[in-house]
Amino acid sequence: MNMTKVLVIGSINDTGLIGLAQKVGNPEIHYLVLGTGDTSQLGKYGVTKAYLLTAQVDETSFAETLIGVINSNNYSVVIAPASKFFKTAIPISAQKLLAPVIVDVLDLKQSDSAFEVTYNGVGNRAQVTVKVSDKVFLIAPPARFKPSEKATTVSTESLQPKVVTGVKVVSTEEKPKGKVRIEDAELIVSVGRGFKKQEDLKLAFELAEVLGAEVGCSRPIAADLKWLSEDHWVGLSGHKVRPKLYMAIGISGQPQHLAGMMEAKTVVVINSDPNAPFFKNCDYGVVEDLYKFVPALTKKLREILKK
Amino acid sequence: MEVLALVKLALDTGQLRMNESKVDIDATPLKISDIDRSAVEEAVRIKEKVGGRARVIAVLKYGPLPKRQQEAESLLREALAMGADEAYLIVDNALVNSDQLLTAKAIAATVKKLGNYDLIIAGEATIDGYTSQVGSRVAAELGIPVISFVRELRVEGNKVTAKRDLEDAIQTVEAQLPALVTVTREINVPRIPPLLQIRAAMKKPINKLSLADLGISMKSLAEIVNIAPIQVKRKGVIIKDGTVDEKVDKLTQALIQEGLITPR
Repeated sequence: MNMTKVLVIGSINDTGLIGLAQKVGNPEIHYLVLGTGDTSQLGKYGVTKAYLLTAQVDETSFAETLIGVINSNNYSVVIAPASKFFKTAIPISAQKLLAPVIVDVLDLKQSDSAFEVTYNGVGNRAQVTVKVSDKVFLIAPPARFKPSEKATTVSTESLQPKVVTGVKVVSTEEKPKGKVRIEDAELIVSVGRGFKKQEDLKLAFELAEVLGAEVGCSRPIAADLKWLSEDHWVGLSGHKVRPKLYMAIGISGQPQHLAGMMEAKTVVVINSDPNAPFFKNCDYGVVEDLYKFVPALTKKLREILKK
Repeated sequence: MEVLALVKLALDTGQLRMNESKVDIDATPLKISDIDRSAVEEAVRIKEKVGGRARVIAVLKYGPLPKRQQEAESLLREALAMGADEAYLIVDNALVNSDQLLTAKAIAATVKKLGNYDLIIAGEATIDGYTSQVGSRVAAELGIPVISFVRELRVEGNKVTAKRDLEDAIQTVEAQLPALVTVTREINVPRIPPLLQIRAAMKKPINKLSLADLGISMKSLAEIVNIAPIQVKRKGVIIKDGTVDEKVDKLTQALIQEGLITPR
């Protein structure tokens, strides 16, 4: 089989996506590094060439720069990390190069010049497989894949960005950073609009502490009310989680939220509204006022767990 | 101001018809993608503030077409009842289950056909595909600036200023019109139209276009070969009778049985 040229994009730490690149039949893997870093370490995973783009650019400028790189080396597969930057930049490049973009990729198989790509689709309710031919763009979270080691030497080329004017950045305000990695949590106590005030969330935090759980939340709590930082946000736009226990308190259960916690093993729902859609998707559902139930549950668990 | 809102007639993923082996796309109802309601709302608000027109464009992506067309028209009436002036519905067999490349080509060709426009508003993503692609693709096709993930929008003269909601930062950007923005749900609360507006919407035009009308003859490059449902079976034990303490006891018993907590 002929070599298939694959370009992986990311920071020097996003190397997980090389694992997806290695699923291509007989890949020649190049890596476009955004920012700085020691490109020689990419050789550990069989990367033979690295591009280094140290200048900070906006999405449209990056898209134009990427088109230049792709045209100069005719890549068949281009792989980028799932982030808002790439979800904006990659479709621009793809539209101009007349190529499909597959988002939330799970797997890839190659047969001749065609690729079968499997991804999470239909509101994260199905695994969809599509057949695409050369060329295709893939977007996936780097942590989903693990590259195997194969030592090579890397040649490095510095890239000059093609800067496009159009959108002018006036100011940037950093968001407060939390420390929660909700994706990795084994036990999650999650909160929603059933909580009337921000202070009331302490009921959930106390329960989480007794259980040794992390605190998650639905979209309005993080995105709208900003009662918790976005690293707590569970859902299609937030984080996808797969804990042993997901306890949803005061969350109605919109499809976008359900899509984020579908892989939880046991789901407990606490809500005063017996018609909340979440009750149709739970293992144990408690119909009760959370302001009465949660403190009582915390107290009981403290006794049982001797905490 | 000529504002266009892009509306996806999306699969209602909350009512997905599926069993262990099959997702029945054809039998699943459609709805206006939640975030696109915010796009329509924002377009109507801009029109109400500065005057002009707000029109909506939709591409029908799901078959069977004879049945779906009627469904699509009644959904577009909802956008018209919210205050949009006119709707354009692109219907073609080649668009059913097609990729976003072709969708964006069809939308951009419609925009060009309509002539003058100042601002295009789309949702940040749709509730079914959730790929966030079409907005950027349409902007690329039209050669205009794109501002994605916008939670605050201001239009003054021929300039748009927007607050973008990124993972680690809120970024304020500006661009000259014409431009395309994609909005998040936080940008507004979409209105629920009163009966009078719903009735008035019946008289507003819904224009149908085919790919031939738009001069497009290309095919989708991605072909769906399989859709495997992700089915999760839940126990569905509902605890609703008794006092608070009795309910607590029932739940803790269940958690112990599941091996999630171990009494000490």
